[in-house]
Amino acid sequence: MSVAYKVFSYEGEKGSWSVFPGLCKGCGLCKEKCPKKCLSWSLNLGVYGTPTVEPDMDECTACGICQTVCPDCAIAVVKKKK
Amino acid sequence: MTTVPQMPKSWRLESKPHKFCPGCGHGLVLKALGEVIDELGIQDRVAFGCDIGCSLLAWDFFNVDTVQTHHGRTTPVMTGLKRANPDIVCIAYMGDGGGYAIGSQHLVNAAARNERITAILVNNCNYAMTGGQMAPTTLPGMKTETTPYGRDVEQTGYPTQGPEMVAAITREGAYVARGTIANLKQLKSYLKKALENQMAGNGFSFVEALSTCPTNWRTNAKDTWAFVEKEMPKYFKVGEIKNPAVKEGE
Repeated sequence: MSVAYKVFSYEGEKGSWSVFPGLCKGCGLCKEKCPKKCLSWSLNLGVYGTPTVEPDMDECTACGICQTVCPDCAIAVVKKKK
Repeated sequence: MTTVPQMPKSWRLESKPHKFCPGCGHGLVLKALGEVIDELGIQDRVAFGCDIGCSLLAWDFFNVDTVQTHHGRTTPVMTGLKRANPDIVCIAYMGDGGGYAIGSQHLVNAAARNERITAILVNNCNYAMTGGQMAPTTLPGMKTETTPYGRDVEQTGYPTQGPEMVAAITREGAYVARGTIANLKQLKSYLKKALENQMAGNGFSFVEALSTCPTNWRTNAKDTWAFVEKEMPKYFKVGEIKNPAVKEGE
């Protein structure tokens, strides 16, 4: 069974980046681990009423580290194929 | 474009978002475990036992058979299941309070008997569910609810080093390792080897995972990473301690 989650997606040159506010608890672990430091707090609120994160897609390289370190699987990154 | 969360297949979607605090390391350990269960394709024959403490919040985490027990008893319960039906893969999941303090007798005896189960112990340096009291794994000088001036090793002794203890009392065939959520790839490989060691029937498999507790450490994301990456490995050395695939002296 699948559960549909609301999604905020951002498109960039290297790929697409999505966050699911129904899963994001706003812990900020991804924000610290981003090698480009391109994640910042968003105005969209997460499941606990805390801010979710949003990327600066000009900087984002779609490396996927934020997706890996998210304990709640609230981030999905898809790298564009060359 | 992806619009579905990239969760392991064995996760139970209906129970997400899970009940752990924001930034809790349990989510990452269970994500690694879920991916390993998917890769090995053993979802239909895993029995997952969680202990009391924060680890019990994993009781509806997976779409696998789950049982919840108290105070380290998850190890003997899983031992019983394994003896009754050797085909199933038994995972005893516990925290450092349940495994090293209240339930250490079960862990020690299961290890000494070399039971063919996998025990996963998540170490976050305190009793998190009851509000962050000092646990056997609290680092020297670390401030908790019951050690407001820092843990005094003269009075309360030094932290328990579980994998070293288990490695010392187990015989051949045991797998013992310590991973950390700061290195998820390595942690995942340890969990995979631990499960494979059990499935091969070699012996007791034990993995300790260094984890985070931002709520009780009172840290923000930056300090949480700094503590788990820099402070904890100083005392708790990360790596494989016992691996039956690697012969002694090589």
